[in-house]
Amino acid sequence: MAQLVREIMIEATPETIWPFLTEPDSLVRWHGTVAEIDPRPGGIYRVLVAGQFQSAGAYVEVVPMEKVVFTFGWDEDDHPIPPGSTTIEITLHPEGDKTRVRLVHSGLPADAVDDHGRGWAHYLERLAVRVSGGDPGPDRGSAGEA
Amino acid sequence: MDAALKALAEPRRREILRLVWMRELPATDIADHFAEVTRSAISQHLTVLKTAGLVTERRDGTRRLYRADRNEMKNLRKFLDEFWTSGLERLRDVAEAAQRDKEKR
Repeated sequence: MAQLVREIMIEATPETIWPFLTEPDSLVRWHGTVAEIDPRPGGIYRVLVAGQFQSAGAYVEVVPMEKVVFTFGWDEDDHPIPPGSTTIEITLHPEGDKTRVRLVHSGLPADAVDDHGRGWAHYLERLAVRVSGGDPGPDRGSAGEA
Repeated sequence: MDAALKALAEPRRREILRLVWMRELPATDIADHFAEVTRSAISQHLTVLKTAGLVTERRDGTRRLYRADRNEMKNLRKFLDEFWTSGLERLRDVAEAAQRDKEKR
């Protein structure tokens, strides 16, 4: 099993960032285009990414202003990363008037990238959008194309 | 790397790559998968993929067989990272804008 860790420093308070993690309308401003989420333990997580890829999982832990944990996978037949098969933990760490946002995506099959072409489909799509557009924010763009 | 990115920017070439990811296939089988596309167009797509190093070609008599070259794909592994990196960068942009709006009020 592999895991991926990403961090970013944001000049905003956890209170400002929190809605972007837990409210559908705010979430889709940075991730996905259609979000159906119920951020409480056991609640569903469904976000349509890049206009056509349905990610799906369920919330595991939600601590306001601090932490959100949900399972994550792709809702597609025979996908090597099925819904709920991996876990994403996003934590907010205030530092002065900034906040360090840490994302850990764990439980990824080590071969998801190397051995499963279908697992690549999603990433290739995003890659292609970036290549053709060259600008971040392809999620909203691809919704317009769909 | 640049050639690989450009090769992947075309949806049919991505579909071809998926077809030959787990198994080697003759060009005819690949072409049959695309009912609405001419064989010569598929042949051109295969050439682009081959030139980009994303697939390898093997001849067996008169047949040409293709399969994905995973070594080249490994070079693109970093895209998995970028998926979340670019997402978090957008989160930063929208959250910082929201913070500035709050402070203006």
